[in-house]
Formats: sequence, structure tokens, C-alpha cells
Amino acid sequence: MQTKILLDEEQMPKKWYNVQADLPSPLDPPLHPATHKPIVPSDLSAIFPMELIRQEVSTDRYIDIPEEVREVLKLWRPSPLYRAHRLEKFLKTPAKIYYKWEGVSPAGSHKTNTSIPQAYYNMKAGIERIATETGAGQWGSALAFATMLYDLECTVYMVRSSYTQKPYRKSMMQVWGAECIPSPSTRTNSGKAVLEKDPETPGALGISISEAVEDAATHSNTNYALGSVLNHVCLHQTIIGQECREQLAMVDDYPDVVIGCVGGGSNFAGIGFPFAGDKMTGKHRDVDIIGVEPASCPTLTKGEYMYDFGDVAGLTPLLKMFTLGHDFVPPSIHAGGLRYHGDSAIVSRLVHDGVMRGISYHQSEVFEAAQSFARTEGIIVAPEAAHAVKGTIDEALKCKKSGEAKTILFNCTGHGNFDMSAYDAYYSGKLVDYEYPDALIKEAIGRIPKVQ
Amino acid sequence: MKRIGLIINPVAGMGGSVGLKGTDGNVEEARTRGAVPHALDRARMALAPLARNTGLHFVTCSGAMGQDVLQEAGCEDPEVIYTFSGESSARDTKEAARRLLDAGIDLLLFCGGDGTARDIFSIVGRNVPLLGIPAGVKMYSGVFAVSPAAAAELVTGLETAVLRDSEVMDVDEEAYRAGTLETRLYGIARTPVIRGMVQVSKQVYEQPDEERVKGEIAQFMQEVMLPGALYIIGAGTTTEAIIRYLGLKKTLLGVDVVKNGRLLARDADEKTLLRLTENESDVRIIISPIGAQGFILGRGNQQISATVVRRAGTAHIIVVATPHKLQETPELLVDTGDPDLDRMFGESIQVICGYRLAQRKKIHQPDGQ
Repeated sequence: MQTKILLDEEQMPKKWYNVQADLPSPLDPPLHPATHKPIVPSDLSAIFPMELIRQEVSTDRYIDIPEEVREVLKLWRPSPLYRAHRLEKFLKTPAKIYYKWEGVSPAGSHKTNTSIPQAYYNMKAGIERIATETGAGQWGSALAFATMLYDLECTVYMVRSSYTQKPYRKSMMQVWGAECIPSPSTRTNSGKAVLEKDPETPGALGISISEAVEDAATHSNTNYALGSVLNHVCLHQTIIGQECREQLAMVDDYPDVVIGCVGGGSNFAGIGFPFAGDKMTGKHRDVDIIGVEPASCPTLTKGEYMYDFGDVAGLTPLLKMFTLGHDFVPPSIHAGGLRYHGDSAIVSRLVHDGVMRGISYHQSEVFEAAQSFARTEGIIVAPEAAHAVKGTIDEALKCKKSGEAKTILFNCTGHGNFDMSAYDAYYSGKLVDYEYPDALIKEAIGRIPKVQ
Repeated sequence: MKRIGLIINPVAGMGGSVGLKGTDGNVEEARTRGAVPHALDRARMALAPLARNTGLHFVTCSGAMGQDVLQEAGCEDPEVIYTFSGESSARDTKEAARRLLDAGIDLLLFCGGDGTARDIFSIVGRNVPLLGIPAGVKMYSGVFAVSPAAAAELVTGLETAVLRDSEVMDVDEEAYRAGTLETRLYGIARTPVIRGMVQVSKQVYEQPDEERVKGEIAQFMQEVMLPGALYIIGAGTTTEAIIRYLGLKKTLLGVDVVKNGRLLARDADEKTLLRLTENESDVRIIISPIGAQGFILGRGNQQISATVVRRAGTAHIIVVATPHKLQETPELLVDTGDPDLDRMFGESIQVICGYRLAQRKKIHQPDGQ
């Protein structure tokens, strides 16, 4: 009874899979925030290196992973695929459950799959420093690790309240040599403006994004990097799904159901796009690809598919995506990485087209699932990954009812070692089951004529 | 130095153990039936950790109404501003409250039940924050701490506490002894709660103050209230904020009716509600949990009867509450007097708790359904 399915280093994918090649029609283009005309590469060149801009719009089916990037990825890749025998037994399900364990990366999550190539292309373009934002610190620490490897400086604007309340991610960034600044800061005009209005502000991700973008735009040696949402980020994550397909082939299997959690959409894209490609090209028409989101920020399940800004301030290009509105401030849930008003444009398109679908859960039931997982498989997962665990358990229980022996694959994106306060809240009964009052909102929108 | 007013109702709770469902005006009967006062024990538990606290100055009444327990617990010279004689009564409670109000205090700590809360509130209103040490037979009011020890903790942390609205409610004891539970909302007091920090993944928020949250709820409700629909709006300060946001004036303790931004009725009784809803095709009810137990229907808003609720339909009930209130009530309760209707509410309900923000709360179903 095999538990771990491992690939050799040489078997690690040499190319990223670009699902844009297999879309029946091109994506709706991003629009310039001021002119509302499709953006052109030069609009982005102030903050991104040209290779990443090229990847953003490419429709080539495969894009080579540079050898220098593969060398670094080998530090933890190929990541293991596990058969969750103990969870299956606990659930008494005929389903076969597999999970891809991305928590083996140095930073503890899938985020390094894209921080490494992003740092690499910036280094190649002669950039000396990268500015970024981070909320709880997952992305900041992943980028700190990557920039260190390519001798780049790294400035991370960390939401101030997290900076003081969640110190260990900040410590990791220090170890890897990045500068971590509580945001809002006095480094940028946008930060100063916020501080002038409210010196005691706890900060917010939207503010930190503005600071990092401003820093990059105003320093010629500095670029900006984003940890999710964008097409090139999703592209870099497809190494996950490609490895899974190889690993499952080693045990003569192929998934009936593929599951990932969804915030900005990059890990879900990573595990889902290769299978979505198989589905669209007719190789496996029946694979069910499910994105699990929090009921408090149910973008795919309750949002509208339309053009919207990527940030709160409305400075980014407009993306065609599922959105709850860029002014929507998701409530404070523990799966902070899933608090985003929109979603990746490609994930949105595939959900809109019916290639993938979304489901949502309240946080207490998600933590209950995480507990079952920890007590069977051992791993204490991050609250974000716990959403995928919950989706998987429910699918497996459906199989128990129907007697079907489906193959279920999910992306176990990261460990929860820095999230124990969230587990504490669960055990002390303090978790609040926030949700989005979509019925009231939709009814009101339906009756009131839209103001242009 | 915080000035703490203290009133103990020494006979509170006596009716309970002997099946009197309340002690109001019934002390003799309770004694005859063999009841022993336990309010003093409850007061001792709360005051033991407080009496020697040098940051607190106690202002109280003579003997069993405060002085005795304080001195016993180690407070050497409490300021006594009211002396009573014989058996203490509601009149004594009210007079003591009046003197404490005049003497100037930061908090009125009392030990008793709903009757005591109501007597004190009738004098001090919202001028002084109230905190109850629970010792009564009936405690539907939200002014009580969950235990004597919790009351002590709140007084100790008074410096950093924030105030929230809490309903003062009482049951009609006569009717209750005759078998009907009729709860009335008498007023909305202010009660201290410990200012907590909400730890979340990306941000740490201070629990936003109640007024701001009510404003957010009101703004959201204004956005989703539909033209042509008739809204029955229940009692409380959260629902009051909604009506105020519409530019109208609400009866705080009553049920009002709004349609197309106009007030159709204030402080409506069941008959009025039935008349106004008779020919309406779209009736909605906006209510907030009332009292310590978290009843959304059946306590303090009986005007919204089972018939009225059926006219709207359970899907058209919008529950609103501040996060703080929800934190204190793990489950919501429904008691329309019609068990079939109560069951139609199901296992959980959505509660609007901010701008475009809701929580899912469990509804307690007595038979576990």
C-alpha cells in the first residue's frame, strides 16, 4: 500500500503549462484604469520585467522553465503526492483521496513556485530591488527567500497590525535578508497620506499594495511583484498540477475530482489548469475541478462576472473577473489568504465557461475538517488549505453515500505552524461564521436601475 | 479612582426555589414556603475580589443592602448614602438609586434579578452604566454579567471597558404564575463590557465601537430596503439606527412600520400590524435579538405574533445585531407560541452584522430539529 508517490528530480516539469492556449476564445483584455482601453505592455513596464509581461499575455501552450529556476526549485521539488489512506479509512469512503503537499518548500507554502521565477526574471532584467506587500506574511517570506538567492534586495510592506501581532513571518524575512516595513509607512506618499489622516491605523492590504507599487514606480532600479491573481503567477504554479498528473500516472490513476482553495486563485490554477486543459481538449471531459472559497468572501459562487479593479483604490488595470466589488472589504477570517474581492481572470473565465466551479464554506466547518485531517494524516494545515480539505471530505462523503470509488485530488498548499492562534480560536468557540448577504444585495440590485 | 455604587436586593431570587417564578411583592409568601435568601452569597462572590481594591471607592446603602457584605469582604469604610429599616423593598431600591445618582458614580453595580434591574433603571436610565450580579429568579435583561466572578472581572477592568446597549426586561409575574410568559422591554441601559481585541489572520481590529457598527448596519439596510415592500421594524437601538438613517424617528421600545421611506405606524400593536399587512404582497420584518438569552421573537416583541410572521414568511425576516451582541449569544431563540412556525426557522439564520456583512448563527430548536 503505497503512501508517498515521488518523482525524481529529472522528472520535474521543464515547462509551465499555459491554459490560455486551450481557451476556445481569447481572454477579455485588461483595461487601462483611466482610459478603459486595453492596456499595452508599456503600461506595465515601469513595474514588471518584460519577460513576465510577455508571459502575462502569451498564448503559447508551453513556456520553458529556465534551468537556473529549476535548479532552485529542486531544493524541495518535485513535491510529494500522498495517498490519504488514513483519512479514507476514517471517513469510511470508497473514494481514493490524494493530496499534493506543497508545505515542503522553505517558506512553507506553494508561493515559492512563483517567487523564484519572478525574482529570477527581475534579476535578468537588471533590476536590483523588488518591492511587494504582504498581509499575514506568506508571500513576503516566499519572496524574501527568492530574492536572496538571486542577490536582489527586497522591501516588504507588511500590514502594520500583522507586523506587530504575527511576528514570526517577519522574522523569517529577516533571516532571508529582506527589509520588512510596517505599512502604512513614511516611505511613500500613499503611506504618509494614510498616516496623516489616522496615525493609529492598523493598515490594510490595499494600502500596502499602493505603497509597494508606488515604491517600484518611483525607483528605476526597483520592480513590483504580486503573489497571486495575475496570469504569469498562475502559469508558474502549473508545475503543481503537471507533477500531480505524472505522479497519478505512476499508480495508473487520473482524478475524477480536483480541488483547491481560492483566494486570488493561483494555487487553484496551479493544480487545476493542467486538468482543465485535458478537459477542454477532450482528453478527460468529465473531470470536476472545484475551487473552495470562504462563505465570507464567496467571489466565484456569489460574485458578478464583470470588469473591476484589482485593488481598493482603483489604481490597477480593470480585469474581467468574478468580483464582489473592489470596495468590498472581506471580514476578518483566519484564512487571510482567501480574503480577496476578485479572482484570477483565467480562473474566473473557466468558472464562467463551466470548466471549473466554485463552492463555499463557513470557517468553523473548515476547521473541523482540518482537525480530522490532522488527526488522521498528521499535518496541521494552514487555514487556507483547510478549505480544500473540507471540500475533499465532503466529496468523499458523497462517494460513501453513492458507493462510487472516485479519485479525488486536492492541493494541500501549506502548513499552519504560524496559525495556531486560529486553531486556538476554533477550540475556544470564538470563530465567527461570517457570510456574504448575497440574497439581500442581489434583490436590491435587481430592483434598482443601474446607474452608469 | 472609580466610584462604584452598590445596591444589593437581599431578597432577590427567593421566589425561585419555592416555585413562585419571581419574588416581586411576594417575600412573605416565599419565606412561608421556606425560601432562604441567597442574594447575599452571590454578592459576596462578586465583591470578595473587589472590596480591597484601592482603585475603587464604594458608595452604598446600609446593612444587607451593601455595607455588610463590603465590610465583611475587607472594605473598611464604604460610603453609606442611604439607610433603610425593616425589610428592604422596591421603594428602598429606587430611593438608593436616586441617592447614588446624585452622589455621582461611574458604575452602578447591583445584585438582584429583572425586578431589581427594572427598579434601578426607572431611576437612573442611561445616565449611569449598570451591571448586574445575577441573583434573581428571572434574568431576561442583558444587564447581567454571566456570573458573580465575571461581574468582578468587569469592575476590575472598568478602566478599559467599553459600554454597550443592554435591554432591561421583565416578565409579568402575575401572568407568569397563571401560565403565560409575557416579557416586556422596559428600556435600554448601558453596560460595560471588556474591550477585546479580535485577532485575525491579516489584521487585528479593536472591536469596533457599537455606534459605528450600528451605522454600518443601517447604511446597508437602507441600500437593500426595497421600494413597495412593507417593513415591520422591531425594538432596540440597532433597529432604531436603521430608521434614523432613513431620516425618520423610531420608538425605541416599540414596533414601527415603514414603507417607501415613510413611517406608517409607530409603536404598533398586533392588531395594527395585522391591519397594515392585510393587503400587502411583500411584507418584511427587521428584528434584533432582545435580552440576555438572544430571543429574536417572543420576548419583548410579542406584537410580532405568529400570524404576523406567517404573513411575511420566515424567508422575509431580516435579523440584525452588532458583533458584540452576537458574541454574547451563541445561539438565537424563537418562541412565537406556534411550534410549527418556530421549526420553520430551521437550524440557523443569517444575521446582518455590518455593511454587506453577515454571520450565520445557530437557532436553538428545543427538540433538536
